[in-house]
Amino acid sequence: MAAPPEPGEPEERKSLKLLGFLDVENTPCARHSILYGSLGSVVAGFGHFLFTSEIRRSCDVGVGGFILVTLGCWFHCRYNYAKQRIQERIAREEIKKKILYEGTHLDPERKHNGSSSN
Amino acid sequence: MAHAAQVGLQDATSPIMEELITFHDHALMIIFLICFLVLYALFLTLTTKLTNTNISDAQEMETIWTILPAIILVLIALPSLRILYMTDEVNDPSLTIKSIGHQWYWTYEYTDYGGLIFNSYMLPPLFLEPGDLRLLDVDNRVVLPIETPIRMMITSQDVLHSWAVPTLGLKTDAIPGRLNQTTFTATRPGVYYGQCSEICGANHSFMPIVLELIPLKIFEMGPVFTL
Repeated sequence: MAAPPEPGEPEERKSLKLLGFLDVENTPCARHSILYGSLGSVVAGFGHFLFTSEIRRSCDVGVGGFILVTLGCWFHCRYNYAKQRIQERIAREEIKKKILYEGTHLDPERKHNGSSSN
Repeated sequence: MAHAAQVGLQDATSPIMEELITFHDHALMIIFLICFLVLYALFLTLTTKLTNTNISDAQEMETIWTILPAIILVLIALPSLRILYMTDEVNDPSLTIKSIGHQWYWTYEYTDYGGLIFNSYMLPPLFLEPGDLRLLDVDNRVVLPIETPIRMMITSQDVLHSWAVPTLGLKTDAIPGRLNQTTFTATRPGVYYGQCSEICGANHSFMPIVLELIPLKIFEMGPVFTL
């Protein structure tokens, strides 16, 4: 997905593509979701088998569990990832503003101190 | 630029492209799960011992496999529409560049602060310096500032072309007699490559686009403002 890393840059992890197209190593949250999905699949399928001793139905429950748990973890992780990116962007903008305007009347710290003392 | 045999998207150089990559990952995960389910269903079909061909009335299954795909489509459509409308936003561009497609080169016009006009031809292999990229490098790059909203007005003088820069998430058709507009804001400096993306004749593959994105302070010292 990216250009080969420059010297000094952290090396990109080797890509492992599930079904030939889902790059779990380099897609944020993918590895986490698939692993939890697999765990959920084993727990659900095996648990169902323990209670019912039906192999086929337990496999179906396992597959369903994999899909549901993967999807749930995926949405949860991506939501937190998006929130984190927004916070990083806000922090970056504030740092830039602070560097640019330090000591001037536009200094964000001066504005913040002024409003808190009022 | 893309590395050899690259299949995935290039790293993002604009906020829109970051959103597109996020959406791509989201859609790919849904596609993966659907493929997994289909492969499982195929496996069951091939290994079943059930041979009754008179089965009918599976109302619950029919309901599930009608409603579930509708839900999946909504999950894909909502972020897609959000990004679609985001790409149409025009955030008060500071600079307007015209890009005119010809057979087989591009002409760029910086007319906001003067009259800089130049052609951008692919460098023939014989003229390449060591380190230059074959079939990608050009004689005159489009030099633009980063962190500045830029408007590109794209048209063509002869046949259809398409001005595309994958890392910025841009692809706009160059249509003779029509002026298409696209806007972008680059977030990091560098040299970024694209290629004509609409078949336009014998040398369609040999009219690349090269953007050189530099800090605004350095851009202001350049020929655009000093001509």
